[in-house]
Amino acid sequence: MNKKKNRNVAIIGSGQTKLSSHREDVNQPEMIHEAVAEALEDAGMTIDDIDCVVHGNMELFEMVHQPDMWHVIGDGAYGKAGLRLTTGGTTGATLVCAADNLVASGLHDVVMAVGFEKLQEGHTTGGITNMADPLWGRSLQTGALTGTTAYDVMEEFGAQRAKRASMKYRVIMDKHAMLNHKAHRRFGLSDDQIDAMAENSPPLVGELRMIHMCSQSDGACAMIFASEDKVEELSANPAWVVDHETVHREETLAFFEGAYRGTKSTHRVAAERLFARNGITDPRNQIDVFEMYDPSSWWGLDWMREFLLLEGDEHLKMVENDDIAIDGAFPINPSGGVIASNPIGATAMIRVAEAAMQVRGTAGAHQVKKDVNLALASGFGGTFWTVLILLSKELPQ
Amino acid sequence: MAEDEVKQELIVSKQVISVPQRFATGPVMGYFLQELRDNARIMANRCPECGRHQVPPREVCAVCRLEADQWDEVGPEGVIRHYDIVYYASPDPLTGETREVPYVLAWIKLDGTSGDAYFWHMLKENDPSKIRKGLRVRAVFNENRVGAPSDIRHFEIIEAQESGGEQ
Repeated sequence: MNKKKNRNVAIIGSGQTKLSSHREDVNQPEMIHEAVAEALEDAGMTIDDIDCVVHGNMELFEMVHQPDMWHVIGDGAYGKAGLRLTTGGTTGATLVCAADNLVASGLHDVVMAVGFEKLQEGHTTGGITNMADPLWGRSLQTGALTGTTAYDVMEEFGAQRAKRASMKYRVIMDKHAMLNHKAHRRFGLSDDQIDAMAENSPPLVGELRMIHMCSQSDGACAMIFASEDKVEELSANPAWVVDHETVHREETLAFFEGAYRGTKSTHRVAAERLFARNGITDPRNQIDVFEMYDPSSWWGLDWMREFLLLEGDEHLKMVENDDIAIDGAFPINPSGGVIASNPIGATAMIRVAEAAMQVRGTAGAHQVKKDVNLALASGFGGTFWTVLILLSKELPQ
Repeated sequence: MAEDEVKQELIVSKQVISVPQRFATGPVMGYFLQELRDNARIMANRCPECGRHQVPPREVCAVCRLEADQWDEVGPEGVIRHYDIVYYASPDPLTGETREVPYVLAWIKLDGTSGDAYFWHMLKENDPSKIRKGLRVRAVFNENRVGAPSDIRHFEIIEAQESGGEQ
């Protein structure tokens, strides 16, 4: 599947609010403005330099429809071209794809994407449950909570090894979050708590426990995309958008994930397509860092195998050997990931913003130690909707 | 702001939305719900090309993208293929009431289905430690049925079965 770009596009700035459980000190446009102002400052430009604003979140949560109208005062979109998108949890990554497409096509030279959520202002699990098919699934679904992956991983690798690996994944993510001052949940967990937490953290669904699950956060993210000509003029430190791939399935094969293992996952299909187009035959060696949308430490653990096209227990070993730690061979989520911070409409965009920060070397205390030439970011939403985005330091061919 | 100044009270506007809804079910899902209501039968539709069932039905086969217009009665017994024991008390969006926990969701391979059609519903079992993949279960229908998922009250484990393995 060829996806030839008309011209190259780079990320030249990004901004994030502090991500937290409560932002009752500001309303929605005020909160978004914080991220927009930081992104503009990062890019060294003003709102006058922006041609188009792409805006998104999940309306189900705050129950404000077309919130982009209210938010014009905070995101600076007044009088500019605009687009509004919502694709569930994937929204932030879809916003990145849209901004990239708008610039790559030649329609706009400089595009700002804005993703946000104030989960405190609605009901997260109720909102996600309302995404389900109203004729059947709505009466059965429990938001995004499911323990089926935990059962599967325990069945495949034994309960003890599986529980330790998923909790070790959780502890690594918390160690990363401790380095990221914008992260929401920063507990200071350590390896010696792994066995106790695996037994004592309150269960949500089966072996999916409170400590495994992502947070419900308030926050916003803004990113600025520019065409190659504009990048030469505006930025000495771009992160190029090499390519992106979206694969989705919804309810057509199985409700939520009951038959997940009977069919190839959308994650694996997206990775196969993206890697084939971009000459990636050995992702763990060719890609330097991966910001993965990991809604829980069971999914994070399990999905590594899908995204990195691994077989057997390679993904467990990567966790057990600390390969995914910030100073490991293949760092995953130096930001702390989604388990630490999850303002849903911004979450997938934060993955890409964080990957771009790693490429640009601007991640500060959570910058990985090795050089980053190629970074991968993923988004996840709905009932298996995957977006994968590849960024580079070098200008793409 | 000087410390002796009174901090501004930040007012939070509290609101509740309540929306009555009515969803058209269409002829395919509508037929499935009608059979559930009138005859307490679970109907699956079948792809004319690959033969896989979908239950509840969807208009086209997800794999072959052909109209799945052939119907077979399936169940009401089947086998647990996957399950979730839910401890988190979330609201039922149909009523706004918080669901009682723990409750069990199961993905059930109904007798007579081919392919990967796993039927998703509630499983009633007071002792969750008894639940495992491979157990045989049966649908328990409500006396008064209205053409809704809740026409099946829940599935229950069929007692006195052999210590069933997978499938």
